[in-house]
Amino acid sequence: MHIPDGILPVGLAISGWIATGGLVALSVKRIESRPDPRAGIPRAAMMTAVFFAASLIHIPVPPTSVHLMLSGLMGAMLGWYAIPAIAIGLFLQAVMFGHGGLTTLGVNGIILGLPALAAFALPRQANRTGSALVQSAAGFAAGAGAILFAVALFTTILLAGLPAHLDADAERVAILTLAVAHLPLALAEGLVVAAVLGFLRRVSPELAHAS
Amino acid sequence: MQSFSGRLFVITLGALLLPSHAQAHAALITLGPVEAIEIHAGYDTGEAMRGAQIVVYAPDNPAQPWLTGTADDSGRFVFVPDGTPGRWAVQAREAGHGAMSYFIVEGGETTALLPAPAQYDPLQRLVMLASIVWGAIGTALYFRRPRQRERA
Repeated sequence: MHIPDGILPVGLAISGWIATGGLVALSVKRIESRPDPRAGIPRAAMMTAVFFAASLIHIPVPPTSVHLMLSGLMGAMLGWYAIPAIAIGLFLQAVMFGHGGLTTLGVNGIILGLPALAAFALPRQANRTGSALVQSAAGFAAGAGAILFAVALFTTILLAGLPAHLDADAERVAILTLAVAHLPLALAEGLVVAAVLGFLRRVSPELAHAS
Repeated sequence: MQSFSGRLFVITLGALLLPSHAQAHAALITLGPVEAIEIHAGYDTGEAMRGAQIVVYAPDNPAQPWLTGTADDSGRFVFVPDGTPGRWAVQAREAGHGAMSYFIVEGGETTALLPAPAQYDPLQRLVMLASIVWGAIGTALYFRRPRQRERA
């Protein structure tokens, strides 16, 4: 789900940078307005490392393979801190392993950042109800929904930027195949987020709600 | 991702087309070696980019594709450039993933420009990953410091 350099038209890449820049600025503003903005940084730093490493873990889903994304987990665990953490993680993935690219860093930031924010909002709403079942379901929906949301954004952006000289039908089929291959990943990441939030609620409720 | 096959034999078929009435036709075949470019498109996981779309840009027109085609099931695609001197660009893409590679044609000679596609062995990857994790731990510990001092 990382779009590399040279795939998107320049206009889309620049729009992505502007959108991600705005999102990071908004996140930093929200973080600054917290009573102790530094308090969330240690967790954000560790989660950035987890997010960075996740892209190296490939899961074969014939005829293709997908890699872990964890944007749902990032959002649920970090809240607004997830946006700068994802931006830094994406930058490191691009420069160290060539996953994604620098020109497409903005677009990739949106593809993974917006689902993270959605995944942050959902469990927070559910936590107010107090029901454990609802909270677990919200955790699952946050993790799985983040993947589906990211796949939808990825597909829309790619189709919007499809150059005329490509065989559009063949590329559409390839994109759709890749999107379908992410369904098992959505299930897996939904379970991961539900399990992690459930664990945090049991051992340390204040940590689960810290974000 | 990109390598060069030594030589590729191209068969040209020529036929004598004579006007009007029927005559005996002699078919002529000329064989000659040409220098071809062979592309292997794949992912860093070792998987081939099956059916990847290949786009070739000639040096004199980097905006308009000179050739488009499709790689086979092993991500292989072969073509013969027309000898236009300069830097040629080859892109392979599939479902939003892809890479660009270049080669230079100069004085009849073709040289591959290797933009060093990231091919790291597992140990190198582990060291790179460990360096990032170590950086994250350092950051986390740094930002925990004031809180610990306050407690003390």
